[in-house]
Amino acid sequence: MSDQDESNHSDPRDKASDFERRLNAKIEARRVEEERRNPSRSGWSIGLRYGSDFFAGVLVGAGGGLVIDRLLGWTPWGLIVGLILGFAAGTLNVVRAARDINASGDTGAKN
Amino acid sequence: MADTNPIRQFEIHPILPMEVNGIDLSFTNSSYFMAVAVVGVTLLMWLATTKRALVPSRGQSVAEMLYEFVAGMIRSTAGTEGLRFFPFVFTLFMFILTVNMLGMMHYFPAPGMHGFTVTSHIIVTFALSMLVMAIVVGYGVWKNGFKFLKLFVPSGVPLPLYIIVTPIEVISFLSRPLSLSVRLFANMLAGHILLKVFASFIVMMGTAGVLGFLGATLPLFMVVALTALEFLVAFLQAYVFAILTCIYLNDALHPGH
Repeated sequence: MSDQDESNHSDPRDKASDFERRLNAKIEARRVEEERRNPSRSGWSIGLRYGSDFFAGVLVGAGGGLVIDRLLGWTPWGLIVGLILGFAAGTLNVVRAARDINASGDTGAKN
Repeated sequence: MADTNPIRQFEIHPILPMEVNGIDLSFTNSSYFMAVAVVGVTLLMWLATTKRALVPSRGQSVAEMLYEFVAGMIRSTAGTEGLRFFPFVFTLFMFILTVNMLGMMHYFPAPGMHGFTVTSHIIVTFALSMLVMAIVVGYGVWKNGFKFLKLFVPSGVPLPLYIIVTPIEVISFLSRPLSLSVRLFANMLAGHILLKVFASFIVMMGTAGVLGFLGATLPLFMVVALTALEFLVAFLQAYVFAILTCIYLNDALHPGH
């Protein structure tokens, strides 16, 4: 180990590239460490994302159903079908949000 | 005794009353804070880029960091192609971030001397998210034409199921601006109410004898901790808003998923 260091120190160009390599390794290690320690998406924000995504789906579905009821006079059916579809859309939103969050977590671990 | 109403901070006061055709167009404290944010961001960017040095000064490196941050965010979600939206996303991110941070100040050189969080009003966040959606739809239709509707018709689904899947996709798409605006608004509103409630506990307990005065230190610690959390939330929500904008813009660029 110390032999290798000696040989590297003898040639300035080797020394520079060695420095570059070590520096990059340090930066990389530090970045990974920071990412692990600082999962900038706190649980609170993830929870609120799921919540608002689901809520918005249901609300838009029900609202759309009500509007159709008003316009076409299908009184209960627009709301019923809209609510069901909105529920499905909200679930779809949550599934997509979960996929996004998991995907970003995976790339963070890989890189 | 100090005002302990936790909702009072969200009140809108007209500073410059104005009325056009019976529509109230007053310059309010909300407008004031938006204007301050715009001027502040512009000044920061202008001052940071006047002396473009190879070795950046402090201001310049802040601007460079912000640039790199937003550019990296767009590249990772919408690809290099998404960088054509950089000016929009950067403006949006900086505006929300600055407005959120200004809202963290309790006292502010504004009429009435009290701070105000622009993003704690849903109409503001809804307008911002509708702007995003307008750009997504407008650009998507302009760029892809009819193919933009592929967004609502996912491939690889048996034909009869499209009767159900397409409405669900449409509702899911329409719910985006709502969830985008509700998230930002709810975070800011809840955080500021929470801060104010705990701060008013200090006042209430502090005026209730020696024991209360000692007990008031507990909510004080809570307020300090919550303030730190609120700064995190203020940044995080600006980030989340911007990154979701990028994700939606990616749909406009590549509607086929």
